[in-house]
Amino acid sequence: MYAYDTYDHALVRSRVAEFRDQVARRVKGDLTEEEFRPLRLMNGLYLQLHAYMLRVAVPYGTMSADQMRRLAHIARKYDKGYGHFTTRQNIQYNWPKLSETPDILDELADVEMHAIQTSGNCIRNVTTDQFAGATADEVADPRPYAELLRQWSTFHPEFSFLPRKFKFAITGAATDRAAVKWHDIGLIVRKNEVGAIGFEVLVGGGMGRTPVIGKTIREFLPEADFLSYQEAILRVYNEQGRRDNKYKARIKILVEAMGIDEFRRQVEEEWQRIKHIPIDVPAEEIARINAFFAPPPLPVLEDTVSAVDALARKNFVFAAWLKNNTNPHKVPGHVNVTISLKPHGGIPGDATDSQMDLVASLADTYSQSEIRVSHEQNLILPHVAKKDLPTLWSDLDKAGLGTANVGLLTDMIACPGLDYCALANARSIPIAQAITKRFDDMKRLQDIGPLKVKMSGCINSCGHHHAGHIGILGVDRKGEESYQLLLGGSGAEDATKAAILGPGFDEHGIVDALEKVVAVYLGVRKEGEEFLATYRRVGQQVFKEAVYDAA
Amino acid sequence: MTLLSLNGTVPGNWTMIGDDTTPDEGANVAVTLARLKRDMDETLVRAGAIGVIIDTETPYTDLAPYMNKLSFVGIDFPAFTDGRGFSLAVRLRKDLSFKGEIRATGHAIPDQALFLLRAGFDSAEVSDERTAAFEAALSRFASFYQADYQGRSSIAHQRHKEEPQRKAS
Repeated sequence: MYAYDTYDHALVRSRVAEFRDQVARRVKGDLTEEEFRPLRLMNGLYLQLHAYMLRVAVPYGTMSADQMRRLAHIARKYDKGYGHFTTRQNIQYNWPKLSETPDILDELADVEMHAIQTSGNCIRNVTTDQFAGATADEVADPRPYAELLRQWSTFHPEFSFLPRKFKFAITGAATDRAAVKWHDIGLIVRKNEVGAIGFEVLVGGGMGRTPVIGKTIREFLPEADFLSYQEAILRVYNEQGRRDNKYKARIKILVEAMGIDEFRRQVEEEWQRIKHIPIDVPAEEIARINAFFAPPPLPVLEDTVSAVDALARKNFVFAAWLKNNTNPHKVPGHVNVTISLKPHGGIPGDATDSQMDLVASLADTYSQSEIRVSHEQNLILPHVAKKDLPTLWSDLDKAGLGTANVGLLTDMIACPGLDYCALANARSIPIAQAITKRFDDMKRLQDIGPLKVKMSGCINSCGHHHAGHIGILGVDRKGEESYQLLLGGSGAEDATKAAILGPGFDEHGIVDALEKVVAVYLGVRKEGEEFLATYRRVGQQVFKEAVYDAA
Repeated sequence: MTLLSLNGTVPGNWTMIGDDTTPDEGANVAVTLARLKRDMDETLVRAGAIGVIIDTETPYTDLAPYMNKLSFVGIDFPAFTDGRGFSLAVRLRKDLSFKGEIRATGHAIPDQALFLLRAGFDSAEVSDERTAAFEAALSRFASFYQADYQGRSSIAHQRHKEEPQRKAS
């Protein structure tokens, strides 16, 4: 993991002092709310329906056990004993007091964390593959480059007041678990024919009210030019992105309006002018950052562990957990374990302070004190020896963290919705709870197989409904909550936009409709065919007929 | 209104004149871009040093023809959230090699002081009651992750005691 040096520490401490002063000036009335708003937002502080909400950055979703313990402590001391992990791999606290937020930031700074640029019209927390550096299928660990982006984008003198928010995602694996094509800039680590590292760069992806899949602007960007190229993209966007209408201000609108070829031409022209000035860091700096992400020294172990197989044969739930919640590791005899934060009937992404403490201590015991957050709102223990799985599962299960549903229907993404969020049009949490209760049957879920359900409580799409195999969008229809059903989206390397099936439903009707969709799938699928493949093969109509004709 | 220096240089004294006002002989004046385009070689030749006040919509290339005549550029922020002003200053320094004074006018707030400085601004027009906050904001941070347009190198370069050199291509 990256560790702060004196520069990083000084910067974050200075930011806490600055924010403390901003809060004091706001309380005294020296700053208007209009002026304070973008300043607090750039520090992750929102004013929600009932209270302030503080969004803390978990840079590229990687943290240590000690950092997790500090997050638990903050939940206990400053909040109501829980936190919410988000699709940006961050954590949100729903009930902090404005006057205490500088103290929270000081507590975070103690463990090398912050809330810088987790909101606002600036470059946000860079997200990545939750298995980065630990998965068998990657070209290179993307996190050193995410850290380079984090530093370059922090308090950027030119790009801190952009037309709109700006999100990067980067992956180093062929299987895209970071939804890079759905980001303002998506990066895929590649190696060229001589084995040198570079990046495919995609631009202009995004969800919101105008979903667009990112387009490749450059097939191979050399490592040494990594930051200067991003700077060229950001400059073209900052100068020409629309500022007259916030719904048309994202880079995707500019790229669509200009056309990718003209956008590329302008970026390349600017890049040629700046690639030689010191924007990119010296090679020694890349080496310094890379060293922090050196793989942990894991022993090569037997890949087949008889005690694990024996338990899986006699315990169906453990077998399901083993199948769904573990992912192949680079080192034989190890796996990455996903801890589901989607208990059936629970709130997706929420964890209590005691659960966070438990995960921290399990990380100390089993995963080199390392923890990840996924954009699918789960926690990951990387680098776990297979032989430890039975005890780890048992410890998790006792704490309500053993749900074996990762990648299945009930492992759904849901935003906080109208229960918390000032932007929401409809509630998300109760719908998610109703769905996961309706499908509270592991045998049934296993039979349905991999299926990504993603739900947002408004058009802003924090719940990634456009990228759901099944998406649900809550809208306000004449003062009533209404839920639209979308099918066929993907956030993976085969990214596609989900299509709306038809008229919306009320909060009960949406659960029934989803169940009908699943029933159609089970009826028409071929042997071993997953939901998305079936949908792509048979098309929308058969689902539409089943859902609407019967109604 | 206070004229605040961001980088220690003394802000110049520029009188903004209307589009139809003839400048006094030898006076330092600032004009609109339209006036500059119209009168650069006409009535404005009477003036001493010449400055221009531009809005954030202005393409930086509009200023290119006047680089050897301009001593001052004021960039007027209609709202402090309009980040185009920062890119304009960067363009003036980086692409037009402008060596004169760049000043932020209009709505900039104290918390932007270091952003302005680092993007290449020399001075800012600040309301009197906010001058102290603006000055305090200038010393808030010691180092940054980016090289700036005042000649300071990035933390990455400082870490390796490396002068920020141009990359070999």
